[in-house]
Amino acid sequence: MRIAHLTTTATLFLLLGMYASGQEKKQLSSDFFERRIRPILVDKCYECHSEAAGERQGGLLLDRQSGWLEGGDSNRAVVPNEPETSLLLKAVRYEDAELKMPPEEKLPKEQIAYIEQWIRGGAPGPVVDLGDSEFSRLGDQPYLFEKSKSHWAFQPVVKSNPPSTDFKGWNKNPIDRFVAASLKANGLAPSPTADPRTLARRLFYDLTGMPPSMLQVDAFAKDFQIDPTMAIEKLVDAIVDSNEFGHHIARMWLDVARYADTDSFYRPDTRTPHYFPFAFTYRDYVIEAFNNDKPYDQFLKEQIAADLIGFDETSPEIAALGFFAVGPHANQAKDESLDDWIDVSMRGLMGITVACARCHDHKYEPIPTADYYALRGVFASVNRIDPLDEKRLPELAGYSPSADAIADYEAKRQAIDKKIKDASGKKAGGNNLSIPEKIKETELAELLLFHPGAPSRAMIVTEKPKPAKAFVFVRGDAAVQGDLVTRKFLKILDPTQAEFPEDTSGRKELAEKIVDPDNPLTARVMVNRVWGHLIGSYLVATPSDFGLQGSAPTHPELLDWLAADFVEHGWSIKQLVRKIVLSRVYQQRSLHIDTMAAFDPQNLNLWKANRKRLTIEELRDSVLAVSNEIDLTPRGRSAELWGEGYTHRRAIYGYINRFNLDPTLRAFDFPSPMQTQPKRDESIVALQSLFTLNSPFVIDQAAAFVSLAEFRKCETNSERVNIVFSGIFQREPHANELTRVLRFVEQQEEFASKTPQTTRFRNAPWELVVQSLLMSNEFQYVD
Amino acid sequence: MSINEEHPESSPVVSRRALLQSTTLGTLALAGMFAEHRNAFGEEKGVGESPLSEKAPHFQAKAKRIIHLFMNGGPSQMDTFDPKPKLNELDGKPLPDSILEQLQPTQRNRAGNIFGSPFKFSNHGQSGLPVSELFPHVAKHVDDLCVIRSMQGEIANHTPGLLLTNCGHSTLARPSLGSWLLYGLGNESDELPGFVVLCPNGTPTAQSRNWTSDFLPGIYQGTHIDSESSSKQLVANLTRDDIRSGTQRAQVALTQFLNRRHSQLRSGDERLESQIHSMELAFRMQRAGTDAFDLSQEPASIRELYGDSIPGKNLLIARRLAERGVRYIQCYHGSGQPWDNHGSIVSNIRRLTKDSDQPIGALLTDLKQRGMLDDTLVIWGGEMGRTPTIQQVKDISKAGRDHHIDGYTVWLAGGGFRGGMAYGSTDELAMTVAEKPVLLADFHATILHQMGFDHKRLTYRYAGRDFRLTDVQGRVIHDLLA
Repeated sequence: MRIAHLTTTATLFLLLGMYASGQEKKQLSSDFFERRIRPILVDKCYECHSEAAGERQGGLLLDRQSGWLEGGDSNRAVVPNEPETSLLLKAVRYEDAELKMPPEEKLPKEQIAYIEQWIRGGAPGPVVDLGDSEFSRLGDQPYLFEKSKSHWAFQPVVKSNPPSTDFKGWNKNPIDRFVAASLKANGLAPSPTADPRTLARRLFYDLTGMPPSMLQVDAFAKDFQIDPTMAIEKLVDAIVDSNEFGHHIARMWLDVARYADTDSFYRPDTRTPHYFPFAFTYRDYVIEAFNNDKPYDQFLKEQIAADLIGFDETSPEIAALGFFAVGPHANQAKDESLDDWIDVSMRGLMGITVACARCHDHKYEPIPTADYYALRGVFASVNRIDPLDEKRLPELAGYSPSADAIADYEAKRQAIDKKIKDASGKKAGGNNLSIPEKIKETELAELLLFHPGAPSRAMIVTEKPKPAKAFVFVRGDAAVQGDLVTRKFLKILDPTQAEFPEDTSGRKELAEKIVDPDNPLTARVMVNRVWGHLIGSYLVATPSDFGLQGSAPTHPELLDWLAADFVEHGWSIKQLVRKIVLSRVYQQRSLHIDTMAAFDPQNLNLWKANRKRLTIEELRDSVLAVSNEIDLTPRGRSAELWGEGYTHRRAIYGYINRFNLDPTLRAFDFPSPMQTQPKRDESIVALQSLFTLNSPFVIDQAAAFVSLAEFRKCETNSERVNIVFSGIFQREPHANELTRVLRFVEQQEEFASKTPQTTRFRNAPWELVVQSLLMSNEFQYVD
Repeated sequence: MSINEEHPESSPVVSRRALLQSTTLGTLALAGMFAEHRNAFGEEKGVGESPLSEKAPHFQAKAKRIIHLFMNGGPSQMDTFDPKPKLNELDGKPLPDSILEQLQPTQRNRAGNIFGSPFKFSNHGQSGLPVSELFPHVAKHVDDLCVIRSMQGEIANHTPGLLLTNCGHSTLARPSLGSWLLYGLGNESDELPGFVVLCPNGTPTAQSRNWTSDFLPGIYQGTHIDSESSSKQLVANLTRDDIRSGTQRAQVALTQFLNRRHSQLRSGDERLESQIHSMELAFRMQRAGTDAFDLSQEPASIRELYGDSIPGKNLLIARRLAERGVRYIQCYHGSGQPWDNHGSIVSNIRRLTKDSDQPIGALLTDLKQRGMLDDTLVIWGGEMGRTPTIQQVKDISKAGRDHHIDGYTVWLAGGGFRGGMAYGSTDELAMTVAEKPVLLADFHATILHQMGFDHKRLTYRYAGRDFRLTDVQGRVIHDLLA
């Protein structure tokens, strides 16, 4: 390409000599451009302003007419027939100290004269004009803004009337009517309603993350026979109002909020993570917010700016600020943690990928770099309090450890404090690190993190005394400061971009912009998350990307209807959840139907329910639930999920080491808490089966099942099989299952009778049977 | 895919599975195992129909397995295998304008002054290929190395580079090379996953997307093992020692009985079948995995050869897995992107090569002495290379190199690749590929060729279209082959 250009240039210079110069015509032709102007541009300008060079500095392209007519970041480069108002001429004349082009040296006079003549003559374009190309549009913010005008996600939410349908029973709930319309349009038909046992299991799992008991299933089935609709409503009301609801749906939020109990980096000498001993109070805040059905707009406002909307350090709501404070931090430069805060609040809350605009205007979304730095200005004005700073992290009321726990904590604390004091001023031999610091960051932090008697504090952020001045960092490099930017919201959502007040970070205003009912993204993004959580597939397949590059909604009217209805009902999550699970769409059978699958193999039209696989949290909680060993105590500190002395509390209370994510969690696709996570992957690997086969946790709980009173009072093996099936699968065994299990038990017993009792091997057949069921697909999938 | 239809019974390799089936059924223990195997999930669907059963490739394969040594982060080509004396000559000077304008925009903006390699190169072996002083052990094997100096990436960053190198596309989710191989060849081992990813202390950048099966069935996904796990077992919950293996086999059979009945009532859900296979594999993996990861079974001389270090253990495990029929073993240098030397490249690259040179040399020696190098393909390289210019300018002692995709180096050894040769070249300033550019699609096509596949015919129908690893690109580079 380069060589070609040079050859052309040389030829054209030769040609130039053959033409008399200075002949002015009123309007010039493309010929003039090709002969007189192009050679100059090729030689001096295309390096930075042409598609061939892959370069478009200052947003200006000079290889096509539209390039100079639209101009770059500074303005139009050329105004045809008006040389004196054309920036290009100004630049080549070196008139403006800020705008001298080409930067290396001024063009020879003759060339400047040609340019002047060319502009005066109408600035004709090339013979073959490139016109618009993918390249010229990359990062072309005016073009992207124009394109965004018709992008669905930036349109106001419109609550349209749901179309009616002739599918029987599908005309009541608007959700059903929207889905029915798309089924019909695609020549598909819905599946029948699932049987009561399936429904009960589905509802319990989707709303609490745990299975129902057999008694609950039976009671529901009885109600269902009398009046299915009433029965479902009654059950849903009861479950949604149970404490377990918040414990389940909060986990969805913690994926978005990249929750963890440690930082992303470790102390090199001890190889222990930097702990966040008080992250748990943020988790408790989230669980309670869902359980109390805190309006979602309020929920967001508190997480972004609790301290600025009337909550002081004595309010429980102050813990909401953990949304920022629990993010990854220590191994990163400050810029990186600000980047995380921008990312979690933009992608996490609004499905827009602002963080890409850090080094340049967004290439694919209507996000100029200035917008990134406007938000950066907000977060740079925020102080993150050291996670171990007990003086500045406020203690929260409402945690009342037992006197014993407090006493034990105090004793241990005193011992550690003494150790710290004794080591005062000492440094370690090899690495010269402070010993008191080391004790504080390891022993003391671990005590604070795990000990039930330790004080409970909020992990907060605070305002800086003076808001930071924000500059654009040219190409993301903090060393190269560009323009000063004021703190304000995204241009695409707030075209006037009113500046945030000068005397605060602007978090409060940011929060208000995010939850403004006219913001087209926030409600849509959240209803899509809740929908995906309950339905098992999303209306928008990219839950954290609603931009030009994201997926289009499968059911746009339905998405809008849900979003509008959500806001109308006071941003109530419980109301939204009820509406979805009370739909026929949700209650369909999950069975495969060849004729439907032939047209819609991915079930995009929702002609059946999606069979869901348990997450690791659901699997763990279910094992503890069926063995009746689960501890449903709410609130409190994180605890180890496996290993010696593992907790029996719900998995959401598990200790999450961000620096070294637990291998079992990792094997089951637990999302990395390094950044906000749109949704969970689903994989099937042998390591997962090894967990149900061999983990001491599953083995213990199988043994616990066998020691349940209900099991022990059984007199016959058949009764035992019944108890095992109803306890774990919430159904009775089929005849061949019964026979098969009895045969297994007999064989094991026979084998045991022939084996001396003194071996290390367990022979108890029933524990193995119970575990067999816990290992099964039926236990791990919800129809 | 039509592998089976086209080549129904032409398996060129006598697999372990085939051997067992044909010769050892008389042996009581093994017969018992297979009886259980069938009992567990073979009654209706024969063992041969498992998605993991061995399948013949399109044609006779030169390589049966791959050990991919992934220097994640992007190793510097001009400090390792692509000497550039001109850079030393011009060290500290700015790049000539004529070069600058040929750069990718992102590189040009950041290009610092020329940075000659501080490391000495010398010629080795009969081929006389130059290798830098950083790789004394690898240099001894230079006559087995096929060095490609003209790799070209697409986007100069880690995630796109990793995804392109592993899955053939910089941005979209696609199945990884290892998954395609498992899909095409099945699993040679009954007892271990066919695609294992070893990464000490966590995961590389882009995490499991590097070994995803994406739209291929989940059973072809890579199994990630943290090979620096401090616990006794590298694989969590690999075994339990409180019941007999026979008891557990009976227990698994009971579960699979329940699973089979469960999935019969729920046709059309491939995940349920995958789970059944996964359980079988897990059961067999207990013994084989314990054995494969138990380095104490190796003689002291071999352990010394590899060295008592994390990378040493990593590669020794890789060899043990290769011996046991694992098709594709990917060994990352470490979690994150350790070779991403934006700063202090001199000290960092010394450390990185000090860690990895001896084990890599040992692996090549060891494979060769076992006669395994002929049909084992060893790949060394990262997701990109580094710039010939300096990045960190404030303090010259902390100088680093930036990302570079136009001309970086990878090498291959064994598996029918031609040793002792360098293919392609970069210009004298290492800025761009001077001749014979190699795209990742070409690289993949050539690897698939050595594994017995026509890359254009290894396809999978998804969402109404036949997909392949190389998409619409890729050519087999026969010059690389012996």
